[in-house]
Amino acid sequence: MTLTWPDLATVVVSGMLLGALYGLMSYGLGLIYGVMKIVNLAHGAMLTLGAYGTLWLYTNYHIDPLLSIPLTAVGGFVIGVLLEISLVKRIRQAPPISSLLLLFGVWLVVKNVLYLSFGGDDQSILTSYTFERLDIGIPVGLTRLLVFGISLLCFGGLQYLLHHTYPGRAIRAVAQDSVAAALAGINVDRVSAMTFGLGSALAAIAGSLMALIYSFNPEFGGSFLLKSFCVVVLGGLESTIGILLGGFVLGLAESMSVVVLPASFQDLVSFVLLVAILVIRPPRTGQKP
Amino acid sequence: MRLLRPGAAAVVVTTLSILPFALTERPYLLHLVILCLLYVCFASAWNIVGGFIGQISFGHAAFVGIGAYTTALLWLRLDVHPVLTMPVAGSIAAAYGWLWGWPCLRLTGPYFAIATIGVGEATRLIMNNLDVTGGSSGLTLPTPESYSRLPDYYLVVCLAAITVGTSLWISRSRFGLGLRAIRDDRDVAESLGVPTARYQLYALSISSFLAGMAGSFYAQYIFYIVPEEVFGFDLSISMILMALIGGLGTIIGPVVGAVVLLLLEQLVLVSFPNLHLGTFGLLLIVIVLFEPRGVGGVLQHLRNRLSKESARGTS
Repeated sequence: MTLTWPDLATVVVSGMLLGALYGLMSYGLGLIYGVMKIVNLAHGAMLTLGAYGTLWLYTNYHIDPLLSIPLTAVGGFVIGVLLEISLVKRIRQAPPISSLLLLFGVWLVVKNVLYLSFGGDDQSILTSYTFERLDIGIPVGLTRLLVFGISLLCFGGLQYLLHHTYPGRAIRAVAQDSVAAALAGINVDRVSAMTFGLGSALAAIAGSLMALIYSFNPEFGGSFLLKSFCVVVLGGLESTIGILLGGFVLGLAESMSVVVLPASFQDLVSFVLLVAILVIRPPRTGQKP
Repeated sequence: MRLLRPGAAAVVVTTLSILPFALTERPYLLHLVILCLLYVCFASAWNIVGGFIGQISFGHAAFVGIGAYTTALLWLRLDVHPVLTMPVAGSIAAAYGWLWGWPCLRLTGPYFAIATIGVGEATRLIMNNLDVTGGSSGLTLPTPESYSRLPDYYLVVCLAAITVGTSLWISRSRFGLGLRAIRDDRDVAESLGVPTARYQLYALSISSFLAGMAGSFYAQYIFYIVPEEVFGFDLSISMILMALIGGLGTIIGPVVGAVVLLLLEQLVLVSFPNLHLGTFGLLLIVIVLFEPRGVGGVLQHLRNRLSKESARGTS
């Protein structure tokens, strides 16, 4: 198949725009793994909750999806902290399988709650600017650009938080060595709860942004959970910049795949990429449980 | 181990062989018994990997689906008798397990679990979009004119016996000991000379063979298969849940779990179908938080307490 130049440009640009969002959606997973060494299977639930939170605010209070982002972020933070304190904390000493199954259970419960309150239909948010297009050499959807911009802003904010504030430094310290961090006077329990909250908040923000460009239903978090894993594994588990780059790689790979694969197989790209990377470069699990 | 006591075994065999005659008037109950035995097969097959090695697979529905589709296609296209397709279905599922187990089993803990989610979803996606499988609308199999559940019942009894028997054989063999060593500490097992990679691959192949046979039975019993069901994530979850309810890594655990899950579905979820996911989720949370060893653990607790109390009573 031959590609014309504008086609290629479109593919690359849309891949990059998507990539930043993929990065944003994955920071939380990486952060939580870094600090607590658990894989948050409830991550998909937070993405979905972010999207539904935005929908709920939009339909009931006519709050613009972009303005609802701080609200869903705060909501995500609170839910994350509560989840950590009430459930995750109690199994910190248990083998990793326990946290996996526990958080998976949380995800199922959240899905069920969403089915009960919103039904299983596909939902979407149509704002006045949903179909606006900008011409930057090639036509690009305005919402896609907005999502890209906000994703990068969040990345900047997260970098600042992690490198220039006390809580951020504490998070990084615990991620590097929780025992040493505790000896240095850091309250590891509080940092863990905070990290879970922060990770959930980031996922909720990503969910809000996704609500702008995708239609969604209660099952929506599933495939994005897998994509987040893919990004995190691509980018290295504990580096935000790595995760952002991983997001770009997945975004580009997905948009390029349209050239050779039917669109219904697009999700396959991340699954295959994920399994391939896990197998070619098995991540070191670090310490034993 | 109590399962093998001759007396208990005789009781189980007699009950299972007489049961359908006691239920001739109540075909629906017989249907439930058949479903329950099928669940036993699912859960026991999953348990060989998830329980014995402790590698949690979220993708076992792939094997069930492949088994079901193998039987359906051989039956529809080549007119092979469905029962004869069962070993073929199992073998193809086992080959599939071998294929992705070979790379994926090098991973441990959460990474293996994540990879299996990927494999399971990818398989479902492909099957949903292939022409040969009838795509997402599924395949309808020829329903016979006269229909009796009896042959199906004995077939599933045999299948369950094979599955549970295999588990029992594994758990008592040197191979099973090796698997348990891998679960407790892979590095130590390796250093003591357990061929960890090979053993895990064997276990996954056996498990997928049994799951494939169960899938094959599902196809010929239900007469209708869709990718969303036989490859569905929900099926993989129920397999995990059943083994977890009964007690991971035990022989009797998956059997108990299958009965509990079926009762739960029939008694509670039939009246509240939209609470399905949430109930499963809550069960997972509660079991992990309070009794990771499942029903077996609860019984152990009760037994300990009783013996303590009787000890107190006599002193």
